Amino acid sequence: MAQTEKFVLNMGPQHPSTHGVLQVQVELDGENIVGAKPVMGYLHRGIEKLMESRTYQQCVPFTDRLDYVSAMNNNLGFCMAVEKLAGIEVPERAWYIRTICCELNRIASHHVFIGSLTNDLGSATGMIYAFRDREKILDLFNIICGARMTCHYIRIGGVAADAQDEFFQKTEEFINYVPEMLDEYNRLFTGNEIFQRRMQGTSIISREDALRFGMSGPNIRASGLSYDIRKLDKYGIYGKLDFEVPIGENGDNWDRYLIRIREIEESARIIRQCLDNMPGGAFKGKVPKVLKPPKGDAYQRVENTRGELGFYIVSDGTAKPYRVHIRRPSFINLQALDHMCRGMVLADSVTAFATIDPLMGEVDC
Amino acid sequence: MGTYLELHYLEELKRDFPTIEFAAEQAEPHIYVSEEELLPLMRRLRENPVFSFDRMGNITAVDYREYIEMVYMLYSRGFDKWVTVKCRLDREKPVAESMTQVWPGTEFEEREIYDLMGVEFLHHPDLRRILMPDNYTAHPLRKDFVPLQPKIEGGVLTWHRQKSSS
Repeated sequence: MAQTEKFVLNMGPQHPSTHGVLQVQVELDGENIVGAKPVMGYLHRGIEKLMESRTYQQCVPFTDRLDYVSAMNNNLGFCMAVEKLAGIEVPERAWYIRTICCELNRIASHHVFIGSLTNDLGSATGMIYAFRDREKILDLFNIICGARMTCHYIRIGGVAADAQDEFFQKTEEFINYVPEMLDEYNRLFTGNEIFQRRMQGTSIISREDALRFGMSGPNIRASGLSYDIRKLDKYGIYGKLDFEVPIGENGDNWDRYLIRIREIEESARIIRQCLDNMPGGAFKGKVPKVLKPPKGDAYQRVENTRGELGFYIVSDGTAKPYRVHIRRPSFINLQALDHMCRGMVLADSVTAFATIDPLMGEVDC
Repeated sequence: MGTYLELHYLEELKRDFPTIEFAAEQAEPHIYVSEEELLPLMRRLRENPVFSFDRMGNITAVDYREYIEMVYMLYSRGFDKWVTVKCRLDREKPVAESMTQVWPGTEFEEREIYDLMGVEFLHHPDLRRILMPDNYTAHPLRKDFVPLQPKIEGGVLTWHRQKSSS
């Protein structure tokens, strides 16, 4: 009988398929994985600490740098937490514009997911398709706030500036393009046999495991649990909108991919409803120049593209937060990586990294 | 939106766990519990079908200069309910039971608290630093934190406290 010896292989931190600076210590027996330990901290900037020495308004740009491919959703989470703490009212028009921006950002983030996933599976062409379409959304953000990725558009009490007709018109053009775009993706990726064979039945996370690891977002929904904060908490105007939460069955890589494709459809539906019912009025509520929330603490969670993003803020009555804690979804989702990789071959670990969709800016904070 | 656990449940818990304290007049009274009763209380909240708090919504620690406060925010998917449990720890040597014994998904978050706040968790499966370098000695989220100075000694990166005179 041939004897095999276990050895450890370092994937990353400089590796094209680790989506940033994630290092994974993979323990291998031949080509089979017997353990995978994520090692992080290479991008740690101490955002939680930095926020303690800045005013509430100055903290908002830091949230852009957390999950830098869905900056709008991060802005929203922090601003909602401060609004809850200080009791600030947000006008309805601001909520509609916020929702449009967040859902556009969700689509853009899923573009990055599809692009990098196809790239990891060996099709560099696929990445170009997804990034071409993501560019259209970044151009929309350019129109509305002048920035493409780190937007800092959603502010405490509303949004930075009113959205112009050009933005609404171009957004509608994009929404009309979405079915055509998805059709192209489905022909190119979803129907691709290599794609299907590599992803179906690999890295399965069962319902119980997904709960055990505390997962959230598309990853827990792919395992068959309907857990979407937009539906549960109905924050903002999500209670008024008609949309569905796509749910997977098996919790394999394939389901995690399909969920994202279907979420793009649902996001487009949400944006169309917002565009049709856009109210007039103010785009920003009354916010004092020097914001001093009363003593106490507040926790606010929102559905980020990667899952349940939470901000816990402690105020001591001054203009600066005493303590900010950020519950980062991709940090917590990474706990499942070891379970996903076990028993797979090394080539499949790359697919597992890609479908869990970690973003190192958020993991390392 | 999810509602907060009602007062009569808190009073019921108070009967079994005498060290629990809460301000009943507040709208959302936080439960303050002693270190000894933290784990049994959490087990009750997780496993008793009356509560079934199956998700650790948020777990963190706050440095209040006199003591360190652990904050646990539990969420029940079935009942759509929240409860906040807080536990005050000695600042010089903060030690708490690990919640991985009840919610295994808190492993990384407790490692982060250990790393940045210096709280030691008993019965944690793998308590190591997670964001800062392994040989770092300070805890950055403490209020009296002073950044350590990096120095390369014999090809190895080491960390040193700043001289107090400068």
